Amino acid sequence: MAQTLHIESRGGRVGTPLLEVQNLVMHYGTKEGEVSAVDNVSFTLNNGEAIGLVGESGCGKTSVALTLLRLLPDNSVIKGGDIKLDGESLIDLDEEQMRRRRWRDISMVFQGAMNSWNPVYRIGDQIREALRLHWPETLTYQEETDRIGALFELVGLNPVTMERYPHEFSGGMRQRAVIAMALSCNPKVIIADEPTTALDVIVQDQILRELKKIQQELGMSIIYISHDIAVIAEVTERMGVMYAGKLVELGSTLEVFHRPRHPYSYLLLSSTPSITGPRRKLAPLEGEPPNLLNPPTGCRFHPRCPFAIDKCSSEEPGLVEVGEGHSVACWNWQEVPEIGGLQK
Amino acid sequence: MLKYIAKRFGQIFILFYVFLALLFLLLDLQPGDISQQFVGNPNIPPEAKEIMVRQLGLDQPKIVQLGNHLWNYSFGMDMGVSWSSYPREVSDILFSALPRTVFLFLTATVMSFWLGFYTGKLVAWRRGTFIEKSAMVTSIFFWTVFYPWFAILMLWFFASQLGWFPIGKFISVEKWIGAPYAADDVFMLMLGTIALVTLVYGVARYVIDRSSDDPQTRRNFHRLALWSLAGIAGAFWAFSARRTYAGDILWHTFVPVLTLTLVNFAGTTLLTRSSMLETLREDYILTARAKGVPERTIRDRHAARNAMLPVTTSLVLQLAVVIAGGVITEQIFSWPGLGRALLGAITAEDIPVAMGALALIGILSLLAHLVADITYAFLDPRIRVQG
Repeated sequence: MAQTLHIESRGGRVGTPLLEVQNLVMHYGTKEGEVSAVDNVSFTLNNGEAIGLVGESGCGKTSVALTLLRLLPDNSVIKGGDIKLDGESLIDLDEEQMRRRRWRDISMVFQGAMNSWNPVYRIGDQIREALRLHWPETLTYQEETDRIGALFELVGLNPVTMERYPHEFSGGMRQRAVIAMALSCNPKVIIADEPTTALDVIVQDQILRELKKIQQELGMSIIYISHDIAVIAEVTERMGVMYAGKLVELGSTLEVFHRPRHPYSYLLLSSTPSITGPRRKLAPLEGEPPNLLNPPTGCRFHPRCPFAIDKCSSEEPGLVEVGEGHSVACWNWQEVPEIGGLQK
Repeated sequence: MLKYIAKRFGQIFILFYVFLALLFLLLDLQPGDISQQFVGNPNIPPEAKEIMVRQLGLDQPKIVQLGNHLWNYSFGMDMGVSWSSYPREVSDILFSALPRTVFLFLTATVMSFWLGFYTGKLVAWRRGTFIEKSAMVTSIFFWTVFYPWFAILMLWFFASQLGWFPIGKFISVEKWIGAPYAADDVFMLMLGTIALVTLVYGVARYVIDRSSDDPQTRRNFHRLALWSLAGIAGAFWAFSARRTYAGDILWHTFVPVLTLTLVNFAGTTLLTRSSMLETLREDYILTARAKGVPERTIRDRHAARNAMLPVTTSLVLQLAVVIAGGVITEQIFSWPGLGRALLGAITAEDIPVAMGALALIGILSLLAHLVADITYAFLDPRIRVQG
């Protein structure tokens, strides 16, 4: 019984690589042609680490998340690359094997205030469903209930409320319950896709603190995905910046905020006010991400980039190391100035 | 939940009286009453006509007539006396016709709902396949077909061409000559069996659900209960002397039930399909996929369960139309039910029977709404709490 109450990460020793994404390429087939939604993305998630993916809407963050779980719509094709969990490729698994891995190994936190709960079943029963599908042993009803109760307590919900239906929960409670469900099968990785986007700022902050606390206590490995760089700043140790399906910058969160090397990261940060830093003028980021049906030649950011040089429109930059664990895909990264940065 | 049902019951009660009063006034507005019907008949002396008017209370003010009318309907189920088949009581005529109508349409509705929902679910799941396209064409055909023509076509095919089934009517009279049972009694016994089996099964399910938490055990016991009940009922009829007579009635129900089912299932299929396609785009379906729920379970437990909600609503609205549309069906299949009684009464200007038939149709529609409301509250927890 104690075993079922133990909530933990099933990952390995902290600091060792857990999830390795290598040169991932994913296309959506549409009537107009192929859309390269994820283009040559590589990153590594270590055990016990929280990393973030940030970028504007439509730049491929969620596509990366869905590719990791292989939950993509029918018109998508994984063109190349590999996803390795604990050294084992997830791309090679057949559908049934992959189904067994979902939630057991990689679970997901969706936008809670939206409809991630089935309205006609009780919250507790929906978590129970995950346990029935993935828990290695067959549990009795009472054992399941005890475990759901323990999960509820961990995320700050009263276990009695597991008998309720989703519509009887507030947005914040629903989001807490989603986190409880994500933890239910002791996963190795949690993907938090816009975990707090639909919530008001106060609840947002509570949930983020809760998530961070749980992540640190359990040594959980989490990938945060958000368009809100403040969220990423608060909870992650390392972060990647995505633009038009490509990873343009990757480094420690502190580094990237302090000294962004990619013009896009720079502009993204300059367009966000900082409360603690020095007063500065906000620079809006002009234009919008390109149509991926027909991406710009060379660097995909060059039409919007104030630092663009001739080379940018013809040749595509690759990720190059510019500091310790900090890499950037830009020809002209030396020109990107320093900004106020972030004080943790 | 009980509060909710009680509240709905109260509403229906009030609504029924409004309906009854309106019905009375509307029919009263029609030209002619019984005394005028006999004006042209020279064999009836004026005094006799006046007696008739007084006996029927037609000389009293309208408001008193209305009061009497409502009073008589509420207490003692007195619907008056038929004018065309005097002195048979209206309630006598209608209550022998009612079970036949209810049976015909309830069977057809339940079957068409089940069939339509199942087809719609599968078709939405296999979007873009040949199965979907052919099911859609079939459904749209049945959805748009001119119903009376189709009913006659079915009769022509099954009864006239193949000769497998009788051309209309409720029983084959020649088989019942000298029969020791009345057709209505046998029929009521059949209905009683179905009702009893359903009721006992419902109670059994309730008890099983209360006593076990494991869904697999519950499902097994549900099945066991259903099969043993069906077995007992089947054995009862197999050894009953009424067997051949019951068989005769069933034989007559086949073509009308099939026709009604085919015509009604198409609408359910089309609606389920679009409702299902909408549900499949919901976020919780993605959650279920991410949870590693098997595809079949996603389809049946997550998507179809939610797709069912709007379909149930439409079923109710459809039910009222179906009962009223019984006039056409029963006329074509010579089915001695409520619809035919109504049509006969209207053509014979038999106002009490027409009014009684309309009142019964009203009650049936209201009850259908009540049942659907309760079912809906049962299916959707969001409705339930508002009580």
